[in-house]
Amino acid sequence: MKKLKAISLMLALLAIAFVANARTADADVPAPPVIGATIVDFTLPDAGGTAHSLASLKGKNGTVLIFIAVQCPVSNGYNERMEKLAQDYKARGINVVGINANSTESAGDVKDHAAKNNLTFPILKDNGNKVADALGATRTPEAYFLDANNKLLYHGRIDNSRDISQVNSSELRDALEATLAGKPVAKATANAFGCSIKRAE
Amino acid sequence: MTHTARRIQARFIFGGAVLVVCGLLLAFSAAGQSATTRTAHKVGSTPAEKAPAPARAINAEEMQGLLKRDGTRPLLVNYWATWCDPCRAEFPDLVKIDNQYRPKGLDFIAITLDDLADLKTAVPKFLRLMNARMPVYLLNVPDPEPAINSVDKEWGGALPATFLYNNKGEVVYKHFGRVKTDELRTAIDKVMSDK
Repeated sequence: MKKLKAISLMLALLAIAFVANARTADADVPAPPVIGATIVDFTLPDAGGTAHSLASLKGKNGTVLIFIAVQCPVSNGYNERMEKLAQDYKARGINVVGINANSTESAGDVKDHAAKNNLTFPILKDNGNKVADALGATRTPEAYFLDANNKLLYHGRIDNSRDISQVNSSELRDALEATLAGKPVAKATANAFGCSIKRAE
Repeated sequence: MTHTARRIQARFIFGGAVLVVCGLLLAFSAAGQSATTRTAHKVGSTPAEKAPAPARAINAEEMQGLLKRDGTRPLLVNYWATWCDPCRAEFPDLVKIDNQYRPKGLDFIAITLDDLADLKTAVPKFLRLMNARMPVYLLNVPDPEPAINSVDKEWGGALPATFLYNNKGEVVYKHFGRVKTDELRTAIDKVMSDK
Protein backbone atom coordinates (compact mmCIF):
# COMPACT_ATOMS: atom_id res chain seq x y z
CA MET A 1 0.00 0.00 0.00
CA LYS A 2 2.86 2.30 0.91
CA LYS A 3 4.51 1.52 -2.40
CA LEU A 4 1.27 2.26 -4.24
CA LYS A 5 0.99 5.61 -2.49
CA ALA A 6 4.58 6.45 -3.34
CA ILE A 7 3.97 5.59 -6.99
CA SER A 8 0.78 7.68 -7.11
CA LEU A 9 2.64 10.60 -5.59
CA MET A 10 5.46 10.24 -8.10
CA LEU A 11 2.98 10.10 -10.96
CA ALA A 12 1.20 13.18 -9.65
CA LEU A 13 4.48 15.06 -9.39
CA LEU A 14 5.46 13.96 -12.86
CA ALA A 15 2.13 15.10 -14.21
CA ILE A 16 2.67 18.53 -12.66
CA ALA A 17 6.18 18.70 -14.09
CA PHE A 18 4.80 17.76 -17.52
CA VAL A 19 2.15 20.44 -17.49
CA ALA A 20 4.67 23.03 -16.36
CA ASN A 21 7.31 21.98 -18.84
CA ALA A 22 5.76 20.79 -22.00
CA ARG A 23 4.52 22.84 -24.88
CA THR A 24 3.39 21.51 -28.16
CA ALA A 25 6.05 21.97 -30.77
CA ASP A 26 4.53 22.92 -34.09
CA ALA A 27 4.88 20.37 -36.86
CA ASP A 28 4.18 23.02 -39.47
CA VAL A 29 7.56 24.68 -39.22
CA PRO A 30 8.49 26.41 -42.49
CA ALA A 31 11.15 24.60 -44.51
CA PRO A 32 14.68 25.91 -43.95
CA PRO A 33 16.27 28.11 -46.62
CA VAL A 34 18.19 26.16 -49.25
CA ILE A 35 21.98 26.12 -49.14
CA GLY A 36 23.20 29.18 -51.03
CA ALA A 37 20.20 31.34 -50.05
CA THR A 38 20.90 34.75 -48.54
CA ILE A 39 19.65 35.16 -44.98
CA VAL A 40 17.73 38.40 -44.52
CA ASP A 41 18.95 40.66 -41.70
CA PHE A 42 17.01 40.41 -38.43
CA THR A 43 17.03 42.10 -35.04
CA LEU A 44 16.56 40.33 -31.70
CA PRO A 45 17.15 41.33 -28.08
CA ASP A 46 19.86 39.71 -25.96
CA ALA A 47 19.04 38.35 -22.49
CA GLY A 48 19.50 41.85 -21.05
CA GLY A 49 16.98 43.31 -23.50
CA THR A 50 19.43 45.14 -25.78
CA ALA A 51 18.53 44.75 -29.45
CA HIS A 52 21.14 43.47 -31.92
CA SER A 53 20.90 43.08 -35.66
CA LEU A 54 22.61 40.28 -37.54
CA ALA A 55 24.52 43.03 -39.38
CA SER A 56 25.92 44.33 -36.09
CA LEU A 57 27.02 40.87 -34.87
CA LYS A 58 28.34 39.26 -38.04
CA GLY A 59 32.01 38.47 -38.49
CA LYS A 60 33.96 39.82 -41.43
CA ASN A 61 34.44 36.27 -42.74
CA GLY A 62 31.12 34.86 -41.67
CA THR A 63 28.70 34.11 -38.86
CA VAL A 64 27.59 30.94 -37.10
CA LEU A 65 24.06 31.04 -35.70
CA ILE A 66 23.28 28.24 -33.26
CA PHE A 67 19.85 27.56 -31.78
CA ILE A 68 20.54 26.55 -28.20
CA ALA A 69 18.56 25.74 -25.07
CA VAL A 70 18.79 26.13 -21.33
CA GLN A 71 17.30 22.76 -20.41
CA CYS A 72 18.05 20.48 -23.37
CA PRO A 73 20.70 17.87 -22.45
CA VAL A 74 21.87 17.63 -26.05
CA SER A 75 22.40 21.39 -26.33
CA ASN A 76 24.04 21.40 -22.91
CA GLY A 77 26.34 18.60 -24.02
CA TYR A 78 27.71 21.09 -26.55
CA ASN A 79 28.26 24.09 -24.24
CA GLU A 80 32.03 23.70 -24.07
CA ARG A 81 32.32 22.88 -27.77
CA MET A 82 30.26 25.94 -28.73
CA GLU A 83 32.32 28.23 -26.50
CA LYS A 84 35.54 26.80 -27.91
CA LEU A 85 34.24 27.29 -31.45
CA ALA A 86 33.50 30.93 -30.66
CA GLN A 87 36.99 31.42 -29.16
CA ASP A 88 38.78 29.57 -31.97
CA TYR A 89 37.19 31.51 -34.83
CA LYS A 90 36.76 35.02 -33.38
CA ALA A 91 40.31 35.98 -34.31
CA ARG A 92 39.78 34.49 -37.74
CA GLY A 93 36.78 36.71 -38.46
CA ILE A 94 33.89 34.33 -37.85
CA ASN A 95 31.49 35.20 -35.02
CA VAL A 96 29.29 32.74 -33.15
CA VAL A 97 25.82 33.89 -32.08
CA GLY A 98 23.48 31.79 -29.96
CA ILE A 99 19.71 32.03 -30.32
CA ASN A 100 17.24 30.76 -27.73
CA ALA A 101 13.80 30.31 -29.30
CA ASN A 102 12.22 28.22 -26.55
CA SER A 103 9.05 29.87 -25.26
CA THR A 104 9.53 27.82 -22.08
CA GLU A 105 12.82 29.57 -21.24
CA SER A 106 12.91 33.22 -20.15
CA ALA A 107 15.56 35.86 -20.83
CA GLY A 108 16.52 35.47 -17.17
CA ASP A 109 17.00 31.72 -17.63
CA VAL A 110 19.18 32.39 -20.67
CA LYS A 111 21.32 34.88 -18.76
CA ASP A 112 21.81 32.55 -15.76
CA HIS A 113 22.56 29.59 -17.99
CA ALA A 114 25.18 31.50 -19.99
CA ALA A 115 26.88 32.71 -16.82
CA LYS A 116 26.86 29.26 -15.22
CA ASN A 117 28.29 27.59 -18.31
CA ASN A 118 30.78 30.36 -19.21
CA LEU A 119 29.19 31.05 -22.58
CA THR A 120 30.72 34.35 -23.66
CA PHE A 121 29.32 34.64 -27.20
CA PRO A 122 26.17 36.75 -27.62
CA ILE A 123 22.88 34.91 -27.07
CA LEU A 124 19.68 36.37 -28.46
CA LYS A 125 16.13 35.68 -27.33
CA ASP A 126 13.85 34.83 -30.22
CA ASN A 127 10.47 35.56 -28.67
CA GLY A 128 7.69 34.33 -30.95
CA ASN A 129 10.16 32.21 -32.98
CA LYS A 130 10.42 34.85 -35.70
CA VAL A 131 13.97 33.90 -36.63
CA ALA A 132 13.50 30.17 -35.90
CA ASP A 133 10.64 30.21 -38.42
CA ALA A 134 12.62 32.21 -40.98
CA LEU A 135 15.45 29.66 -40.73
CA GLY A 136 13.20 26.60 -40.39
CA ALA A 137 14.96 25.64 -37.16
CA THR A 138 13.43 22.66 -35.35
CA ARG A 139 15.84 21.52 -32.66
CA THR A 140 18.66 22.37 -30.31
CA PRO A 141 21.49 22.51 -31.04
CA GLU A 142 21.06 23.41 -34.70
CA ALA A 143 23.69 25.47 -36.53
CA TYR A 144 23.68 27.76 -39.57
CA PHE A 145 26.90 29.04 -41.08
CA LEU A 146 26.61 32.19 -43.19
CA ASP A 147 29.46 33.62 -45.24
CA ALA A 148 30.53 37.28 -45.18
CA ASN A 149 27.51 38.14 -47.36
CA ASN A 150 25.04 36.17 -45.20
CA LYS A 151 24.82 33.40 -47.77
CA LEU A 152 23.94 30.07 -46.12
CA LEU A 153 26.82 27.63 -46.58
CA TYR A 154 26.07 25.00 -43.95
CA HIS A 155 23.01 23.94 -41.96
CA GLY A 156 22.73 21.19 -39.38
CA ARG A 157 24.56 19.57 -36.55
CA ILE A 158 27.77 20.71 -34.90
CA ASP A 159 29.27 17.21 -35.11
CA ASN A 160 28.11 13.59 -35.01
CA SER A 161 27.77 12.97 -31.27
CA ARG A 162 26.63 14.77 -28.15
CA ASP A 163 29.14 12.55 -26.34
CA ILE A 164 32.45 14.30 -27.07
CA SER A 165 34.41 11.02 -26.80
CA GLN A 166 32.42 9.62 -29.76
CA VAL A 167 33.00 12.53 -32.15
CA ASN A 168 34.60 11.52 -35.42
CA SER A 169 33.13 14.03 -37.87
CA SER A 170 32.85 17.77 -37.26
CA GLU A 171 30.83 19.10 -40.19
CA LEU A 172 30.41 22.64 -38.84
CA ARG A 173 34.14 23.17 -38.24
CA ASP A 174 34.90 21.56 -41.61
CA ALA A 175 32.57 24.09 -43.28
CA LEU A 176 34.29 27.00 -41.51
CA GLU A 177 37.76 25.74 -42.41
CA ALA A 178 36.83 25.18 -46.04
CA THR A 179 35.37 28.67 -46.33
CA LEU A 180 38.38 30.32 -44.68
CA ALA A 181 40.60 28.42 -47.13
CA GLY A 182 38.47 29.67 -50.03
CA LYS A 183 37.18 26.18 -50.83
CA PRO A 184 33.62 24.97 -51.26
CA VAL A 185 31.94 23.28 -48.29
CA ALA A 186 32.07 19.51 -48.86
CA LYS A 187 29.06 18.57 -46.73
CA ALA A 188 26.52 21.39 -46.52
CA THR A 189 23.91 19.66 -44.35
CA ALA A 190 24.01 16.98 -41.65
CA ASN A 191 21.39 15.86 -39.14
CA ALA A 192 21.55 14.69 -35.55
CA PHE A 193 19.04 14.02 -32.81
CA GLY A 194 18.21 16.99 -30.62
CA CYS A 195 15.46 18.56 -28.52
CA SER A 196 12.47 20.10 -30.25
CA ILE A 197 12.39 23.88 -30.14
CA LYS A 198 9.42 24.73 -27.90
CA ARG A 199 7.66 27.28 -30.05
CA ALA A 200 5.17 29.80 -28.70
CA GLU A 201 1.59 28.69 -29.27
CA MET B 1 -8.52 -40.37 -9.68
CA THR B 2 -7.50 -40.12 -6.05
CA HIS B 3 -9.67 -38.50 -3.44
CA THR B 4 -7.33 -35.51 -3.11
CA ALA B 5 -7.21 -34.99 -6.85
CA ARG B 6 -10.99 -35.06 -6.98
CA ARG B 7 -11.18 -32.51 -4.20
CA ILE B 8 -8.76 -30.23 -6.07
CA GLN B 9 -10.78 -30.67 -9.24
CA ALA B 10 -13.96 -29.80 -7.37
CA ARG B 11 -12.29 -26.73 -5.98
CA PHE B 12 -11.26 -25.67 -9.48
CA ILE B 13 -14.77 -26.10 -10.80
CA PHE B 14 -16.16 -24.08 -7.90
CA GLY B 15 -13.45 -21.43 -8.41
CA GLY B 16 -14.22 -21.34 -12.12
CA ALA B 17 -17.92 -20.86 -11.45
CA VAL B 18 -17.18 -18.00 -9.07
CA LEU B 19 -14.99 -16.38 -11.73
CA VAL B 20 -17.69 -16.72 -14.38
CA VAL B 21 -20.27 -15.15 -12.08
CA CYS B 22 -17.87 -12.34 -11.22
CA GLY B 23 -17.12 -11.83 -14.88
CA LEU B 24 -20.81 -11.66 -15.74
CA LEU B 25 -21.48 -9.21 -12.92
CA LEU B 26 -18.60 -7.09 -14.13
CA ALA B 27 -19.81 -7.22 -17.70
CA PHE B 28 -23.34 -6.18 -16.66
CA SER B 29 -22.16 -3.36 -14.45
CA ALA B 30 -19.69 -2.19 -17.10
CA ALA B 31 -22.38 -2.19 -19.80
CA GLY B 32 -24.20 0.60 -18.01
CA GLN B 33 -21.17 2.82 -17.71
CA SER B 34 -19.35 5.26 -19.94
CA ALA B 35 -16.80 4.05 -22.47
CA THR B 36 -13.83 5.30 -20.46
CA THR B 37 -14.84 3.55 -17.25
CA ARG B 38 -15.52 0.43 -19.23
CA THR B 39 -11.98 0.43 -20.59
CA ALA B 40 -10.64 0.95 -17.09
CA HIS B 41 -12.66 -2.02 -15.85
CA LYS B 42 -11.43 -4.21 -18.65
CA VAL B 43 -7.78 -3.36 -18.04
CA GLY B 44 -8.22 -3.78 -14.30
CA SER B 45 -9.82 -7.19 -14.63
CA THR B 46 -7.20 -8.68 -16.97
CA PRO B 47 -5.24 -11.10 -14.81
CA ALA B 48 -1.43 -10.90 -14.72
CA GLU B 49 -0.62 -9.59 -18.22
CA LYS B 50 2.62 -10.78 -19.68
CA ALA B 51 5.44 -8.41 -18.77
CA PRO B 52 6.82 -6.50 -21.78
CA ALA B 53 10.10 -7.69 -23.28
CA PRO B 54 13.09 -5.59 -22.17
CA ALA B 55 14.26 -2.84 -24.53
CA ARG B 56 16.87 -4.02 -27.00
CA ALA B 57 19.67 -2.14 -28.79
CA ILE B 58 19.46 -2.09 -32.59
CA ASN B 59 21.54 -0.63 -35.43
CA ALA B 60 20.23 1.42 -38.38
CA GLU B 61 19.66 -1.65 -40.60
CA GLU B 62 17.67 -3.44 -37.93
CA MET B 63 15.60 -0.28 -37.49
CA GLN B 64 14.80 -0.20 -41.21
CA GLY B 65 13.76 -3.85 -40.95
CA LEU B 66 11.36 -3.00 -38.14
CA LEU B 67 9.70 -0.29 -40.24
CA LYS B 68 8.90 -2.71 -43.10
CA ARG B 69 5.29 -3.89 -43.41
CA ASP B 70 3.94 -7.13 -44.86
CA GLY B 71 0.51 -5.79 -45.81
CA THR B 72 -1.32 -6.85 -42.68
CA ARG B 73 -0.97 -4.32 -39.86
CA PRO B 74 -0.32 -0.57 -39.82
CA LEU B 75 2.52 0.65 -37.62
CA LEU B 76 2.98 3.56 -35.27
CA VAL B 77 6.56 4.56 -34.43
CA ASN B 78 7.61 7.03 -31.76
CA TYR B 79 11.18 8.29 -31.43
CA TRP B 80 11.93 9.48 -27.92
CA ALA B 81 14.47 9.65 -25.11
CA THR B 82 14.25 9.78 -21.34
CA TRP B 83 16.15 13.10 -21.43
CA CYS B 84 13.49 14.67 -23.66
CA ASP B 85 10.78 16.55 -21.70
CA PRO B 86 8.03 16.55 -24.34
CA CYS B 87 8.75 12.85 -25.03
CA ARG B 88 8.09 11.99 -21.41
CA ALA B 89 5.06 14.27 -21.37
CA GLU B 90 3.38 12.57 -24.33
CA PHE B 91 4.23 9.00 -23.32
CA PRO B 92 1.15 8.31 -21.17
CA ASP B 93 -1.04 9.23 -24.15
CA LEU B 94 0.95 6.86 -26.35
CA VAL B 95 0.58 4.03 -23.83
CA LYS B 96 -3.19 4.62 -23.88
CA ILE B 97 -3.22 4.53 -27.66
CA ASP B 98 -1.18 1.32 -27.61
CA ASN B 99 -3.58 -0.33 -25.16
CA GLN B 100 -6.58 0.77 -27.14
CA TYR B 101 -5.47 0.08 -30.71
CA ARG B 102 -3.12 -2.91 -30.49
CA PRO B 103 -6.01 -5.36 -29.92
CA LYS B 104 -7.67 -3.80 -32.99
CA GLY B 105 -4.65 -4.48 -35.20
CA LEU B 106 -2.18 -1.61 -34.81
CA ASP B 107 1.50 -2.34 -34.23
CA PHE B 108 3.41 0.20 -32.17
CA ILE B 109 7.12 0.41 -31.51
CA ALA B 110 8.99 3.03 -29.51
CA ILE B 111 12.59 3.77 -30.49
CA THR B 112 14.69 5.53 -27.89
CA LEU B 113 17.76 7.65 -28.57
CA ASP B 114 19.08 7.29 -25.06
CA ASP B 115 22.69 6.32 -24.52
CA LEU B 116 23.50 2.62 -24.56
CA ALA B 117 24.38 2.92 -20.86
CA ASP B 118 20.72 3.81 -20.13
CA LEU B 119 19.37 0.61 -21.71
CA LYS B 120 19.32 -1.25 -18.43
CA THR B 121 18.67 1.70 -16.11
CA ALA B 122 16.82 4.88 -17.07
CA VAL B 123 14.92 3.31 -19.98
CA PRO B 124 13.30 0.31 -18.19
CA LYS B 125 12.67 2.47 -15.12
CA PHE B 126 10.71 4.96 -17.18
CA LEU B 127 8.83 2.25 -19.09
CA ARG B 128 7.81 0.58 -15.84
CA LEU B 129 6.57 3.90 -14.49
CA MET B 130 4.55 4.39 -17.67
CA ASN B 131 3.24 0.81 -17.58
CA ALA B 132 4.32 0.63 -21.22
CA ARG B 133 3.81 -2.67 -23.07
CA MET B 134 4.86 -1.85 -26.64
CA PRO B 135 8.22 -3.20 -27.92
CA VAL B 136 10.99 -0.69 -27.23
CA TYR B 137 14.33 -0.47 -29.04
CA LEU B 138 17.37 1.69 -28.46
CA LEU B 139 18.92 2.97 -31.67
CA ASN B 140 22.65 2.62 -31.19
CA VAL B 141 24.50 4.28 -34.07
CA PRO B 142 27.88 6.05 -34.23
CA ASP B 143 26.46 8.56 -36.72
CA PRO B 144 22.74 9.41 -36.50
CA GLU B 145 22.57 11.08 -39.95
CA PRO B 146 21.89 8.01 -42.17
CA ALA B 147 19.26 6.67 -39.76
CA ILE B 148 17.41 10.01 -39.58
CA ASN B 149 17.53 10.46 -43.36
CA SER B 150 16.29 6.92 -43.98
CA VAL B 151 13.19 7.58 -41.88
CA ASP B 152 12.06 10.88 -43.40
CA LYS B 153 13.59 13.58 -45.59
CA GLU B 154 11.81 16.36 -43.72
CA TRP B 155 13.00 15.19 -40.32
CA GLY B 156 16.09 16.87 -38.93
CA GLY B 157 16.26 14.70 -35.81
CA ALA B 158 14.15 16.77 -33.39
CA LEU B 159 12.61 14.65 -30.63
CA PRO B 160 9.99 13.48 -30.14
CA ALA B 161 8.94 12.43 -33.63
CA THR B 162 6.00 10.19 -34.46
CA PHE B 163 5.27 8.38 -37.71
CA LEU B 164 2.25 6.33 -38.73
CA TYR B 165 2.68 3.80 -41.55
CA ASN B 166 -0.12 2.03 -43.38
CA ASN B 167 0.08 -1.74 -43.83
CA LYS B 168 2.08 -1.24 -47.03
CA GLY B 169 4.75 0.68 -45.13
CA GLU B 170 3.91 4.14 -46.47
CA VAL B 171 3.99 7.12 -44.09
CA VAL B 172 0.41 8.38 -43.75
CA TYR B 173 0.93 10.73 -40.80
CA LYS B 174 3.90 12.31 -39.09
CA HIS B 175 4.44 14.78 -36.30
CA PHE B 176 7.60 16.38 -34.95
CA GLY B 177 7.42 17.58 -31.35
CA ARG B 178 4.82 16.59 -28.77
CA VAL B 179 1.94 14.74 -30.40
CA LYS B 180 -1.50 16.23 -30.70
CA THR B 181 -3.41 13.22 -29.42
CA ASP B 182 -6.71 14.00 -31.19
CA GLU B 183 -4.94 14.46 -34.51
CA LEU B 184 -3.01 11.21 -34.05
CA ARG B 185 -6.13 9.25 -33.09
CA THR B 186 -7.96 10.55 -36.15
CA ALA B 187 -5.05 9.43 -38.34
CA ILE B 188 -4.98 5.99 -36.68
CA ASP B 189 -8.75 5.54 -37.07
CA LYS B 190 -8.39 6.42 -40.73
CA VAL B 191 -5.50 4.05 -41.45
CA MET B 192 -7.26 1.24 -39.59
CA SER B 193 -10.46 1.72 -41.59
CA ASP B 194 -8.58 2.00 -44.89
CA LYS B 195 -6.93 -1.37 -44.65
